Amino acid sequence: MVPIPERALVFSPDGRTATLEMKDIAVVDEPKFPALDCESTPATLSFKMVCTATNEKVLYDDPQKQFRVEGYHATAQMEAQVNVPSIGFSWKSDPLSTSKANFAIIGDEVNGRYYNPMK
Amino acid sequence: MSSSEDVRSCYTRRGFVGTTLGVAAAGAASLLLSDEAAADSKPQTERRTYNGSTDPYPLPWLDKFGDHHQPAGANLDPSDIFHFKGRIVRCANFAGMGTDNKGNRIAFGAPSTDYGIMQGEYFAARAPQTGAFVHI
Repeated sequence: MVPIPERALVFSPDGRTATLEMKDIAVVDEPKFPALDCESTPATLSFKMVCTATNEKVLYDDPQKQFRVEGYHATAQMEAQVNVPSIGFSWKSDPLSTSKANFAIIGDEVNGRYYNPMK
Repeated sequence: MSSSEDVRSCYTRRGFVGTTLGVAAAGAASLLLSDEAAADSKPQTERRTYNGSTDPYPLPWLDKFGDHHQPAGANLDPSDIFHFKGRIVRCANFAGMGTDNKGNRIAFGAPSTDYGIMQGEYFAARAPQTGAFVHI
């Protein structure tokens, strides 16, 4: 988990679309993840992700794990670029519009000390 | 957010001894100097608190790899931060194509291609904090 720089994350005024664009994030390339002791190589990642709410509502409420999410199922698309300098590898995705995510939600959450069970 | 604000990490035995000696030296000096002179020579010690780190508190629940994280999915906590209220976005299982630097077409995306955005308030260091984070 990394902090998002100012202006990298933009929500539309109605809160239904989120756009996150970050460049040259230091990451670890682990092609065999999640295998134990898999080789890891320093890499950088740049990406743009756009997530837009559909009209299908989502409500998760779990008093045992103390979290509640109220929002919408969503569509999500991404374009990305990866560089692994130590092995001379780079890769760039096709444009954002050609990708999709099979799971996406967008909404509001409370958990932990902010959670109150629904009445 | 800054781990450098976690003053607990400064609380080493050496740090404690240094602080104690500093306080003792200041006390001795005040006995030898006039009140006015002592007031001018107040120790410029940094104010310390022991409230803990302002870093976000992780989810208590572990995934199958032992990480403080839940997979993306229905009825699973999409946040990686506990004691959180705010906006969340969780997108996983991407599918797409790309090209490497040798011209090879390589697909991307798997259930573990998982991005989670958290923006809002979280509680740490005994106080509300604000921030925006992404799980990549």
